[in-house]
Amino acid sequence: MITLDNVTKSYGTFQVLKGCSAEIGRGEVVVVCGPSGSGKSTLIKCINALETFEGGQIWVDGMAVRSAQTDHSALRAKAGMVFQSFELFSHLSILDNIMLAPRLVQKRAKDEIREHAKTLLRRVGLERHADKYPIALSGGQQQRAAIARALAMKPDVMLFDEPTSALDPEMVQEVLQVMTELAREGMTMMCVTHEMGFARQVATRILFVDAGEIVDDCPAADFFAGRCSMRAQAFLRFEADHPG
Amino acid sequence: MQIWSWHGFFTYLGSPYIFRGALITVYMTAVSMVMGFLLGLLIAVMKRSQRRLLSWPARFYVWFFRGTPLLVQLVVIYAGLPKLDIRLSVMACSIIGLTLNEAAYLAEIIRAGLNAVPTGQIAAARALGLSERQIAWRIAFPQAFRLIIPPLGNSVNGLLKTTSVTSVISMEELMQRSQILVQDQFMVLELFSVAALYYLLMTTAWDFLQRRIEHYAERPYRRQQQSVAVDPIELPVTTQDAR
Ligand SMILES: Nc1ncnc2c1ncn2[C@@H]1O[C@H](COP(=O)(O)OP(=O)(O)OP(=O)(O)O)[C@@H](O)[C@H]1O
Ligand SMILES: [Mg+2]
Repeated sequence: MITLDNVTKSYGTFQVLKGCSAEIGRGEVVVVCGPSGSGKSTLIKCINALETFEGGQIWVDGMAVRSAQTDHSALRAKAGMVFQSFELFSHLSILDNIMLAPRLVQKRAKDEIREHAKTLLRRVGLERHADKYPIALSGGQQQRAAIARALAMKPDVMLFDEPTSALDPEMVQEVLQVMTELAREGMTMMCVTHEMGFARQVATRILFVDAGEIVDDCPAADFFAGRCSMRAQAFLRFEADHPG
Repeated sequence: MQIWSWHGFFTYLGSPYIFRGALITVYMTAVSMVMGFLLGLLIAVMKRSQRRLLSWPARFYVWFFRGTPLLVQLVVIYAGLPKLDIRLSVMACSIIGLTLNEAAYLAEIIRAGLNAVPTGQIAAARALGLSERQIAWRIAFPQAFRLIIPPLGNSVNGLLKTTSVTSVISMEELMQRSQILVQDQFMVLELFSVAALYYLLMTTAWDFLQRRIEHYAERPYRRQQQSVAVDPIELPVTTQDAR
C-alpha cells in the first residue's frame, strides 16, 4: 500500500530524514514512535506530499509521490490525514467540514455525500452535532469530527500525526476508541503516537524513528515482547513511566 | 451680517441640491470601495506570491499609490487621460482615482487578514486534496474577511470623507456643492454645519451596517449562541457520546 524507498529530506543544511525505507501492506496498522524532533511528522507528511523531499521515492497504492506527473489531489484523496490540533475549518459547520472535499475534489453527488457524512458522524458519535461549528465542540469531539472528515474521501489509508497529544486526558480514550474500531474494520493506518496502549491493542508493526532514521521496524508482538533494539526498549520503558 | 442664521441652516438642510450631493458621495464611496476591494484582493494575493513576477508589481503598486497624494493622482487622471485621447466624465475619473488609491490601502489590510488564517487549516485543506484556488476561495478568503471587517469598516468611514478630495477636479459631491453655495451666499458656517451633519449621518448609518455584517460573520465563532440550539434534555448525553 505504501512503500518508502530511501527517503531523504533536508531543511537547509540540517538533514531531517536520512534514508527512510519501509513497506506498509494493505490492512496494516503501523505505529510510528520516537523522540521529539526525530522527524516523525516530517516523514508522515512526505507521504501525502504536504512536505517535499529531495531523495528517494514514496509509492502510495502504486502512485509515485515525488514525480511531476503525479496528480497530488488524487494522491491526497487516497491518503486521509488527521492532525494533532484537529484543524477543522472554523467557519464551516461540522457537516460542511465533512462534505466540503468530497464535493469539491471528488465531485460526488450531493445527496450521496450528505448520506455518507451522516453515516460517518453516527459512527464517530457526533450525529447530534452536525450543524454546530467547531468552536462549540470539545477537543475530543473535534478530533472525531476531523477523523470523519478524512474518512469522507473514502481513503485507502489513514495517516495520523499524534492525534491525541493535544487532548485533555479524559478525551483521549474516545478518540482512540474510534481509531481502534477503524483498525479492526481493516483500514490501513500509519499513526504517529505515544499511546502504547493503543499500539499494543491494534498495531501490526512498530516503526521506531530516531534522528531521521528508522532505527527499528519490527512486528508489534516482538516489540512488546522485548525482542527489539535497546534504543526502542529504553524509549518504551520511559513512555510506560511517563504516560502521555 | 448675522453670526448664525437658523433660517439659512434649515433651508440648506432641506435643500435637494445638497441632498443629492450627499447621495453622490454615498454612491462614489460604495462603488470605489467595492472595486477597490476587488483590486486590493488581487494585489494582496500577488504580493504574497512566491513569484517575483507577481509580487514585485504588487509591491510597486502599493508603494506608488500610498506614497503620492490622492489629490495629485486625481489631477493626473483628470488632466492626463484626455491627452491619451481617453475622454471620461468627471464622475468616472473620480471613481477611478478613488478606486486605485483605496486598493493600495485595502491590499495591505487584506494581506494581513490572509496572513492570519491558521496555516494548519490550509494544510488540512491541502491534505484533503483541495486545489490552491479552492483553498483560497473556500478557506482563506472567508476566514480572512471575517478578521478584517473592523479595519475595512475604518476604510469605508474614511472613504466617505475622502471623496471630498474629488472636488479638486470639480466633482459635484457634497463638499463641492456646499462650497458652490458658499461662494454664492456667504453662509459658511451654516452650509458647512449642514455638510458635517450629512457626513455624520452617513458614517452613523455605516456604523450600524458594519455591526450587522460583523454580527453575521461572527456567527461561527460564538459558543453560547449555539448551545441555545441544543435540546436541553439531550445535554447530559453529550458528555458521553463516545459510545
Ligand atoms: N520548516 C522547518 N524548517 C526547519 N526545520 C524544521 C522544519 N520543520 C521541522 N524542522 C526540524 O526537523 C526536525 C524534525 O521535525 P518533526 O516535526 O518531523 O519532528 P517530530 O518527530 O514530529 O517531533 P515531535 O514529536 O515533537 O512532533 C526537528 O528537528 C525540527 O526542528
Ligand atoms: Mg511531530
